[in-house]
Amino acid sequence: MDVYELLKEKGIEIGDKIRINSLTGILMPKTELSEKDIIVLKLENGYNIGIKIREEKEVELIEKRKKISKMELKKEDFDASKPTISILACGGTIASKVEYETGAVYPSFSPEEIVEAFPEIREIANIKAKKLFDLFSEDMQPEHWKIIAQEVAKEIENGVDGVVLMHGTDTMHYTSAALSFMLQNLPVPVVLVGAQRSSDRPSSDNQVNLVSAILFAAKGDVAEVVVCMHENSSDNYCIIHRGTKVRKMHTSRRDAFKSINTSPLARVNYFEKKIEYLRKDYRKRDKNRKLLLDLKINPNVGVFYFHPGAKPEALKEMSKFYDGIVIASTGLGHVAINILKDEKGKNFLPVIEEIIKSGKPIVFASQTIYGRLNLNVYSTGRILEKAGIIGNGCDWTIETALVKLMFVLGHTKNLEEVKELMLKNIANEISERTEE
Amino acid sequence: MRNDVELKVGLEIHFQLETEKKLFCNCSACMKEKNPIKIVVRKLHPVQSELGEIDKAAQFEYLRNRVFYYEIFENECCLVELDEEPPHQPNEEAIKIALQISKLFNCKIPDEIHVMRKIVIDGSNTSGFQRTMIVGFDGYFEFKGRKIPITQVCLEEDAAAIDKEEDGKVYYKLNRLGIPLVEIDTGILEEFTPKEIEEIAYHIFLIASSTRKIRKTLGAIRQDVNVSIKGGNRVEIKGIQRLSMISKVIEKEVERQLSLIKEGKKVEKETRVAKEDGSTEFMRPLPGAERMYPETDIKPIKTEIYLEKLEIPEPLTKIIERYKNEYKLTESLIESLLKSDYFFLFDEIMKNFKIEGSIVANILTSVIKDLERKEKIEFKLEKEKFFEFFEALEKKKIFKEAAYDILKEMYFNKELSVDEIVEKLNLKPLSKEEILKIIEETRKEVKDEKKLINVIISKVRGRANIQEVIEILKAKNRQHEFP
Repeated sequence: MDVYELLKEKGIEIGDKIRINSLTGILMPKTELSEKDIIVLKLENGYNIGIKIREEKEVELIEKRKKISKMELKKEDFDASKPTISILACGGTIASKVEYETGAVYPSFSPEEIVEAFPEIREIANIKAKKLFDLFSEDMQPEHWKIIAQEVAKEIENGVDGVVLMHGTDTMHYTSAALSFMLQNLPVPVVLVGAQRSSDRPSSDNQVNLVSAILFAAKGDVAEVVVCMHENSSDNYCIIHRGTKVRKMHTSRRDAFKSINTSPLARVNYFEKKIEYLRKDYRKRDKNRKLLLDLKINPNVGVFYFHPGAKPEALKEMSKFYDGIVIASTGLGHVAINILKDEKGKNFLPVIEEIIKSGKPIVFASQTIYGRLNLNVYSTGRILEKAGIIGNGCDWTIETALVKLMFVLGHTKNLEEVKELMLKNIANEISERTEE
Repeated sequence: MRNDVELKVGLEIHFQLETEKKLFCNCSACMKEKNPIKIVVRKLHPVQSELGEIDKAAQFEYLRNRVFYYEIFENECCLVELDEEPPHQPNEEAIKIALQISKLFNCKIPDEIHVMRKIVIDGSNTSGFQRTMIVGFDGYFEFKGRKIPITQVCLEEDAAAIDKEEDGKVYYKLNRLGIPLVEIDTGILEEFTPKEIEEIAYHIFLIASSTRKIRKTLGAIRQDVNVSIKGGNRVEIKGIQRLSMISKVIEKEVERQLSLIKEGKKVEKETRVAKEDGSTEFMRPLPGAERMYPETDIKPIKTEIYLEKLEIPEPLTKIIERYKNEYKLTESLIESLLKSDYFFLFDEIMKNFKIEGSIVANILTSVIKDLERKEKIEFKLEKEKFFEFFEALEKKKIFKEAAYDILKEMYFNKELSVDEIVEKLNLKPLSKEEILKIIEETRKEVKDEKKLINVIISKVRGRANIQEVIEILKAKNRQHEFP
């Protein structure tokens, strides 16, 4: 039996002060990886150690856990001379409090707590805050995008000057692309923001990112869905990416998010609290503009990653589960179709033709991440285009292609219309020119 | 010093471990690079906690206008030091050494080691916390028949070293961050004189050095002392760079507290920093309990697997006794050996060759030091090469007087054997006949008797025992006088 359960029978619970032989400390929760007979003890000097309990008699209760009283925070005054923005939280911790006595980290999320944590916000805007859900980034589903879009629309209808969306970083670029399609004709900025370092540490990038996002939501001139994250490893600048053209390109760095096949929209100087615009072709802020909310989305789309040795049969099997497929193709837009006789069963062309004939669209996006598809250069591309592959000339990321196909399939299943809509630029997801 | 002051002292001694790599990443721990290749600019933010308002306000105030500039060095800094990548699993060699040290101090070992984050907001850690872990607790060692309590042994990451500070811009060198550091804390030491406390600190250094993995360069060993006296208060003094400064620092602190008490002033609980001359200056109020919480990126470390195969080295204190009694080394030679890189090599040489201990020790200390000073080199030689040299010395193929020239040649011409060097430099020991021949020849060239002896000595240098040559010369002179 687990030693924690044995102790519980003795009336000793996590948080209680206990003694084991010569050691005194607070009983801490154990980690997933500890053995059954190990307890974690927080010593008086703050250190934790793991101690093996041979007999539960060794453990002696000294004092039951103390209740920690929360401090009351003063209500923030509304300042009519400043813009008002809404912060919506989808997960992660925007700010958190560490209880050093137990080592526990608690999220904190009232507007008062946010302003308490980042007092410089007071000089920028009035804050409204609301928690939508508490999800790990990887647990985010297309259904959540709809809820977020509706909530953002509500805030905008209530007249805020901008919306900031706290989001886990792993799938933030999927959400930013989805919102770009669902929230059309925006009057004010919608800024997604996250942190690559957790908020319990003094070095967290949450403050620089969040304050910059608030500044941009309150004062930025770009009425689009954007992502605001560190520009590089230093804390002096954040960069504003277009929601459909951004991708997480690193597992851990602060500057993991990069604009793909386009330059970013703007730079926020965190130290000086200034905005510098890097492009001119954006939709300008106009509070009189009427937002168009379009929630029609079909989440039944999948991505197939082509590779040497990939089996067409797998693609065929996969197509049974989805209404449309994005193939992460090689280079300019290729998969294996020029196969010799002895490698039968590796040729994708028959399967692709079959799927499209059954009425399901197949969209290409390149594995290279950077660059534009071109199905005209090699015969492989020309044959695939003729077979009905969608994407010739597009420079979208795999993720944006996926989200767009979901959005388009939410509106029509007619293959001709799907193709037409896919190739139409809805939210700047296709750049007309590639500059770099 | 008056002995009615009821002096109480606690020691915290830090040693860098001599591992190839850092504690939480695979960067080099050598700190060889001189010039940074890049600079990263960062701010730190106060972390919210259930702290009092004053502490919170102080944190805000401290960090408000401070910007940290981190200097990055090739091979010695990666994304881990930059706080851009989670820590790797801890360096197993460092854990092994830290456990050896714990055992040498008779400590109990936790069944699981848990890595903690200790909040530090002076910028010396890019993350805003220092990773630290208890590897041993409740230990002791014997000193002059008394038990010195060791409360804990911690393994931690060293912090970045401050480079310069100007207008709120603080520059840190990021290459020191992450070097494995062991902290050894004593319990409260009572009824000891400051000199004895310094000796205790030296003993701690010696015992830890038994692992042969303690870095000895300046700044690699640092100590903090906590001092209090009757009617005074606990004052922490940080950053004493030399063990030999400890007694002076304690004495000066006792004087400072006594004079405050005499003036009727209160001795504040505070942290002070030691200066070169042993005096101290105010650094900050004494921080409250350390703010610590678990480092969740690193799994707890089970110690059982380590302890099964852990070898406990012979304590240095015992080795020193052996050097004194068996090899008849003087205290000062032992001290020189301890300061050199050859303390343990000395033992191996003595076990393998029949040479007088003081001769071996002298070559390993003063001759090599001379070489380094005169040739402006950092002398390095493989163990096998040292063995070759001392074997030649044992077999009287060379004289100890030739040590300087031969070792110099061995350093600059690594491919040459000792025999070849002897041949090349003409350092073969001279027979009596050869010495006589040289004397005769020199006598023909030099007529001045006073100069004669010096010329002869310079001619036979390294190839003969000077005393013997003088004897031969004297004998020869007598022959001349009475033909």
